[in-house]
Amino acid sequence: MSEKELLEEILENLQQMNEKLDSFIGKKETAPDQSKKGNIAESLDIMTLLSLPDHLRTTATTLFEIGPATAEEVSKVTLKERAVESNYLNQLVRMEHVEKYREGRKVYFRINEK
Amino acid sequence: MTFALAVHSSKGGTGKTSIAVNLAAAYALDGKNVCLLDVDIRGPSLCSIFKPDTYFWINDMLSGDREIKDTIHDVSERFGTKGKFFVGYSNPDINQIRELARKDRSWQSNALKNIIKGKKELSGKNIDVIIFDTSPGVEYESINAVAASDIVLIVHNSSIACHNCTDQLIKGIYSPLNKQCAIVDNMCHPNVLGPSEEKRFGINVIAQIPCMCNVATRNNEILSLTDPDHVFSKAICSMKNKIEDFYM
Repeated sequence: MSEKELLEEILENLQQMNEKLDSFIGKKETAPDQSKKGNIAESLDIMTLLSLPDHLRTTATTLFEIGPATAEEVSKVTLKERAVESNYLNQLVRMEHVEKYREGRKVYFRINEK
Repeated sequence: MTFALAVHSSKGGTGKTSIAVNLAAAYALDGKNVCLLDVDIRGPSLCSIFKPDTYFWINDMLSGDREIKDTIHDVSERFGTKGKFFVGYSNPDINQIRELARKDRSWQSNALKNIIKGKKELSGKNIDVIIFDTSPGVEYESINAVAASDIVLIVHNSSIACHNCTDQLIKGIYSPLNKQCAIVDNMCHPNVLGPSEEKRFGINVIAQIPCMCNVATRNNEILSLTDPDHVFSKAICSMKNKIEDFYM
């Protein structure tokens, strides 16, 4: 196996690990949180978006522009690492500005429509 | 590629609508396909200028009830422009304005999605330039349009209040949204304005249009179309060229 092939295999394995971690985090986060029971999710309107820290605002703005997307698709627009965007997107999910859902093996994010 | 431009200002009465309408007409005369959208839904103006016969409004596009193609009207034949000239109107009915003023943050969040979706649809219809005529200051509809734009044309007058509020808008809205900006000094009084500037707040000043009574008295005309040799029309044409050279 050439060095290039070996690196590609490592990359593929890392991506699979990342997807599994996303899936695991997603299951934890979609579990009902009793402390928030009855709360209404925060709508991500433009004024709320402007009050976000720079890194999360860039991620959320990108999601508004491109629509539902995977962390990898967002990272291609923001030119940041996929894992970094995955982290930012999951922060937005925890803030209830963004929803996370699965289609096949891929994890997608979209602006919360509640 | 479609280029979207929001004509915005910190204060009212700076001449945003005159500049938006004439700039749209200048692009259409030049052969560009243009769509002018009235997003000043709390104080609509374009209906008074174009007197359209319409059933669907920009309001319907923002609320997601209609696609943008259903809400825009082709006025190119009426004005004899080389490029296509579409206009989308806000509903001037006071009941509609009151209804929209009551909308919550969730509605505004969806309105932003719909305006971005509308921009993509116009891009698919070979529109070269979208111009948003916005309401002044920090209204949801205006800032949504700013967020959906590629450049913000800040229409400025020589008052201290306008100067200070523009500074706030740049720091609190345009910069956090990473928007390119250009300043247009409108209704300038040379004895108040002082020497002309190339940059203000670090932003290019691309036009300084003198205060002219006959621009106000001829407000039933689109001067770029009816009087291309007028000082105002020439300033609009020069502004159009600078936007093309520096930003598009």
